[in-house]
Amino acid sequence: MRKTILATAAAALLVLTGACSLQETPYGFYSGDNFYKTEEDAESGLMYAYNALNYLEYLRGIWYVGDIPTDDMYPKSDEPGDIHMLENWTVTPNTELTQYYYKYCYIGINRANMVIDRIDGGSLPESVRNRIVGEALFLRAWNYFSLVRTFGRCPVTLKPISSLEQTTSPLAGSIRELYDQIIKDCEAAIGRLEPNKVFGRVDKAAAQALLSKVYLTLASSKDYGAPGYKDMDINVADTYARAADYARHVVQDYPTLYGFDPDLRHIYNVYAPDGPEHIFIMSTDRSGTHEGMYTKIPLQFLPNNSSIPIFIKYPDGTLEKGNGNGWGVFLIGDNFVTSTYLTTDKRRTELIHRAIYNQYGVEVTPSPVRGYFTSKYVDPDFIGERTSARPYLIRFSDIALVLAEAAGPEEGYPLVDAIRGRAGIGPLTPGLSLADFRKAVIDERKRELAFEGNRLFDLRRTASVTKTVQEAGSLTEEEAAFYPIPQREVDLNPNVPSSNNN
Amino acid sequence: MNKRLLTLLALFLTVITQAQVRPVSGTVYDFDGTPMIGVSVVVPGSQRGTVTDENGRWTLSAAPGETLQFWFVGYDTLEEVVGPDGTVKDVQMAITANVLDDVIVVGYGAVKKSDLTGSVASVKMEAISDLSATSVDGLLQGRAAGLQVVNSSQDPGAASTVRIRGNSSINGSNTPLVVVNGFPMGDAGALTQINTSDIESIEILKDASASAIYGSRGANGVILVTTKNAAEGITTATVKHQTLISTLSDKLDIWYNPMTMAQVTNEEMVNAGLNPLYIGQTIGGIYYPSLMEIQNGDWSNTNWVDLCLRTPVTNSTTVSVNSATGKSALNLNVNYFSDNGIYKKDDYSRLNLNLGYKYNILPSLVFSTYNVFSFTERNVCNGLEYGRNPLWPVYEEDGVTFWTAGPTDFSHPLIALRDKKDNTKGRDFLVSGALDWEILEGLKLHTQLDYRYKTSVQDIYEARTTSQDAFDNGGIAKINMSVYQDLLSETYLTWNRKFGTAHNLTLMAGHSFNYEQNRGLYTTARGFVNDVLGNEDMNAGDPELRQIYNDGYYVSKLLSFYGRANYSLLDRYLFTFTVRADGSTKFGRNNKWGFFPSGALSWKMHKEPWMEDLTWLTEFKWRASYGISGNQGINSYQTLDRYGSEKFYHSDKWMTVIGPGYEVGRTGANDRYMVWGGIMNPDLKWETTAQADLGVDISAFNSRLRLTADIYYKNTYNLLREKYLPLSSSYDKIWVNDGTVENRGFEITLDGDIVSTRDWTFSAGVVLSANRNKVLHLGDAISSGLSTDQRTGMLYEVTGPAISMFNQNASILAEGQPMNIFYGYKVDGIIQEGENPGFIDPSALLDRPGELKYADLDGDFAITSKDRCIIGDPNPDLTASLNLRASWKNLSLSVFLYGVFGNDVLYNGYTYSPRVKSKRWTPDNPSTDFPSLNSIRQYYLSDYFIQDGSFLRIQNISLSYDFRLDRKWLKSIRLYGNIDNLYTFTRFDGFDPEVGLDGIYWGGYPKFRKFTMGIDIQF
Repeated sequence: MRKTILATAAAALLVLTGACSLQETPYGFYSGDNFYKTEEDAESGLMYAYNALNYLEYLRGIWYVGDIPTDDMYPKSDEPGDIHMLENWTVTPNTELTQYYYKYCYIGINRANMVIDRIDGGSLPESVRNRIVGEALFLRAWNYFSLVRTFGRCPVTLKPISSLEQTTSPLAGSIRELYDQIIKDCEAAIGRLEPNKVFGRVDKAAAQALLSKVYLTLASSKDYGAPGYKDMDINVADTYARAADYARHVVQDYPTLYGFDPDLRHIYNVYAPDGPEHIFIMSTDRSGTHEGMYTKIPLQFLPNNSSIPIFIKYPDGTLEKGNGNGWGVFLIGDNFVTSTYLTTDKRRTELIHRAIYNQYGVEVTPSPVRGYFTSKYVDPDFIGERTSARPYLIRFSDIALVLAEAAGPEEGYPLVDAIRGRAGIGPLTPGLSLADFRKAVIDERKRELAFEGNRLFDLRRTASVTKTVQEAGSLTEEEAAFYPIPQREVDLNPNVPSSNNN
Repeated sequence: MNKRLLTLLALFLTVITQAQVRPVSGTVYDFDGTPMIGVSVVVPGSQRGTVTDENGRWTLSAAPGETLQFWFVGYDTLEEVVGPDGTVKDVQMAITANVLDDVIVVGYGAVKKSDLTGSVASVKMEAISDLSATSVDGLLQGRAAGLQVVNSSQDPGAASTVRIRGNSSINGSNTPLVVVNGFPMGDAGALTQINTSDIESIEILKDASASAIYGSRGANGVILVTTKNAAEGITTATVKHQTLISTLSDKLDIWYNPMTMAQVTNEEMVNAGLNPLYIGQTIGGIYYPSLMEIQNGDWSNTNWVDLCLRTPVTNSTTVSVNSATGKSALNLNVNYFSDNGIYKKDDYSRLNLNLGYKYNILPSLVFSTYNVFSFTERNVCNGLEYGRNPLWPVYEEDGVTFWTAGPTDFSHPLIALRDKKDNTKGRDFLVSGALDWEILEGLKLHTQLDYRYKTSVQDIYEARTTSQDAFDNGGIAKINMSVYQDLLSETYLTWNRKFGTAHNLTLMAGHSFNYEQNRGLYTTARGFVNDVLGNEDMNAGDPELRQIYNDGYYVSKLLSFYGRANYSLLDRYLFTFTVRADGSTKFGRNNKWGFFPSGALSWKMHKEPWMEDLTWLTEFKWRASYGISGNQGINSYQTLDRYGSEKFYHSDKWMTVIGPGYEVGRTGANDRYMVWGGIMNPDLKWETTAQADLGVDISAFNSRLRLTADIYYKNTYNLLREKYLPLSSSYDKIWVNDGTVENRGFEITLDGDIVSTRDWTFSAGVVLSANRNKVLHLGDAISSGLSTDQRTGMLYEVTGPAISMFNQNASILAEGQPMNIFYGYKVDGIIQEGENPGFIDPSALLDRPGELKYADLDGDFAITSKDRCIIGDPNPDLTASLNLRASWKNLSLSVFLYGVFGNDVLYNGYTYSPRVKSKRWTPDNPSTDFPSLNSIRQYYLSDYFIQDGSFLRIQNISLSYDFRLDRKWLKSIRLYGNIDNLYTFTRFDGFDPEVGLDGIYWGGYPKFRKFTMGIDIQF
């Protein structure tokens, strides 16, 4: 009897113990265990990596970092927060906006790393794998390129982070090492991708475009003696040539996909994100339910008209509707407008405004407009604060100017003149020397790519921040070359030293 | 109804006296067989009675069928029926079982009270059986040392907050585990499923020796609830009914006189540099009459209170049947409880059916089952604006349409009453079966299987008239459903053996398996054509605005093995060792199993030969224990990696995109920045509490005086905390085990049966508890994101709810300080005319006369965040209760006092209160206590708003009378009445200082004074 009981009890125990695995199986959410199995998963995971750019921390950072610290834009004086630290060149490791920009670059990197890690080793067909991993490699390169240009030497990781031990990434050995990685990723992406123009996504041309910008940054930084680059072992001419090479592919290889948009305003038409100019444009739509799905970019630029929709009047008399409850944060310096553009430059007359109108074309008086604002980001069919306005991440004109700058006058004049011609101004002074021509191209970039998140990087790579930006006048070019690594990184990552890192 | 019962009663008495009376006699023997002298022999309910002589003989007049009662102090009262032939059997009296021989239920077993080695408090059910409450937990306030119960909400069906020996967790739960008949029901505070009258005993397991047997769930203490079993051979049916009527114990804090309101409003606007409101002007379509016009009385003085509030009434009716005959025993207890709240349409009702059944299959094999079926319904309609502007009318001039102050006024109480729906229906079923088998002499097996099924359905509709959000969205309809299932299998063996006369060993070993599953579905629809259907047809909403949210499907499993050894030597030295191993799916991969040992020893000093001369001393026992228990505190899946998802616009449509990183919160201005989590931590585990306890139990004078005292020290470490990660990791936070909290304190329970005679009894009980709580360590300062107090260097973390009045959170957790202390500025009275406030306000607002005089602690002549310091502690120094019971024959009276001392309360909204506003500072009335009025003043959180929350309350006075009828079909009737919250002695300025454990007072209406009338009829 006793034996039977004991045996039964023992058996019951064994069964119970066996049946009761303490392993937790997730239900109702995705995790590494149940994701990245199919092509749809891979696609979805890749888009999640794209989506890292859509968060307002990164999206607004495009201007916070790219334009606010420069001569082309300044914030309204009563805008709360750290934006004035960027404007006044007093960014510290605790500046919130640079900290969040930094964080979201890494969020994009981790999402891309996960795709690369899981898909490259997976069993999907090679063509699918190439496309997905190629785009992920591009995104990783894109984010590291944003980081290295903004913060210089920073932590680097090429593996997805999924455990506490992995959360303290090593600092890159040098800025050069970071660039080598970016170049490697771009090259790999170029090798894997095909030309394939899809709104919101990148293809082979985009990877070539990015790589051309990377090489141009290296070449010009060395050329102009930019801090962080001047001691690098770089063959300037050779690197310019590489930049030209990749840019040339973009400009010449895909005439049916990419080219100059003949109509200046059409580039910025919210209904034309698939225009020939757009090599990489952020995907958003006003039908979304939260910010990131849609954007509030126009509110940053447009003046406040007490919630009554405003109308922008173009020289041809047409009116374009815009949000009436703008915050008017991003203002364009009076001096920048007058000294940068000829009065006939369409980029001045059509894209920069000082007055707002009502629906009948009558100017609103007294004017609530506090400074010049741009109409590059207007969605006439906004729904409340929801708009489809998008950041222009890589434009054909940008790469055309990269080619012009890298290749020099011979190949460059027609490209620069095409852009000037579209803006309704005459050709560039002919016969400029290579150095003068390059300066002229950078000037053209300032006009063409103004308020598109480019300016700071052009100033830094030409070591001309301190002499161009009044607020940075008291700094040395070394101090202006990179923002400090955010404090939370320094505090929590033992691999990152507290003093400046470069 | 009561009158009718009394008539019935009179009738029965008449019947009795009419019976045939003749002399009967008999003998009474003592337990040892010797005749007993002086035993009272009476016929209950009559004047007939006698005492036994030296031979134990007695004689009195009685009729056949009458019951005789035999009574002697210190002995059990016996009853004997006079036989048909007029004879009565001789009786043998037995000494009343000592309180020390009471059996106390402990985890997985029961022991004699005298053999307890751990700290276990038993609650006497008779003390609380007449009281009314939503759940029995609420009644435990002040009934056991070391048990803290806070009843701060007066909403119908509201739960209580229960703590045993203080708070020990920061992010995890601090609530004790409730175990009903061996089944863990979950957090204490809302044990609504079990009827109070069906409960036999409640035991509070406090120290580690008692609670560690519950392993990873024992750290907050355990409350064991045992339900009744019918006594052998007896069948009783009982009907109980009680009605409770509540009144407000104070006047509401609203404007009773519109003139004062208008004057005060004008004054606070003028002081703020604004135009006065009540000057006879129209703003936003609303006319604000001038003071003169109000004076003339042409304006309504609407009594919004009567429109919003009512007299709260609670009814509770219980029918129970207890029967034990032959092999089976049945307990059925059905209760219907309804609670109408003070707000109209705010109510709660519940039907509970508790069914217990026991069957002796063999003499050694007993099957028992316990089942609970509980149905609840809650209609929420609280927060009606009874303090609405009395000048505003109820209706438009047509007398039908409700008048509102413009299109954005959604606070008309009658509209809310009419157009809001918030109804929750709950079902909670528990079915359990158990087998007890005495396999061999001394070897017992207990096995039980429990299944619990709990669902809730919530229907919500907010018509477009009720809020801006609903108006903008065209009505908001919701249906929220949840299902919870819990399966428990538990089996243990107990073996007891005596070795010789000196050694007694009891061993227990068992295992349990617990499976819990929880899922919910939450649906929202918006944009309805009209409000007619409410949420009845969710499909009628705008398809674009529909939302479905399901919070997944949480499964957790807990596999446990446990054991206990009790060894007693010479019945003097007692040793207990317990151990439990818990394996939980919730724990991280690397910490699946937790091990929780405890040990205790006890010394019955009174049994030592050198103490035996002290015969007045019944017991003098020392107890000491130490052990380790855990707190799960982790939700399912918290240790796994968890991907997030977003919608991404791709190819003209929205695509769900998925990957690493999961939004776990928001931060920054307007919550604009996301906080990212979702990274796995396979090392995450339970919080651990190590507890030492030293106690003494003394009882004297035949147990008429009893003292239990304990001191304890609890150290809780490996606290569940969130740690920040480097930004480059792409994650913000991860759950880790870090941080330490300690609790230490003492508890004293003193009971005395001061008078105990045949007709008179008087007993008194005192319970004292003191707990000191201290945060020792909050984890690594940087990775925990701790702030530093700039003057003292104290590290702290902001906690608790944000308070809009101060634009900040009230409480902090600081190393070296108790939990949830208040942190803010110091105020030194009111700035008077011509007085130098000691600081300069750049905006010249805060340093004017009539303002609060903030103290400039750092001496920089400015009030900055550096001038903040600790300004209060919401944790009480001492809680105490006094319970007095007196009875004379069948009449008994009890008085219960409850007090909490030495805690601070933050009075949120103090200076917004009409009562306080009326006493404001003005140049003519230079108050030193109240600031001037100013409608736009930004208040800083300061000690001005902190008040002493100590109170002593006459919690309950209860009077009852038992009619002992002893008829075959009507045994007794008991009538009682009691008053709850008769009076509260306190210096607190608000209505009631009994607030939540965070010490924040949120205003509202006064505490109820409750009047209960009840009747119990036993058949």
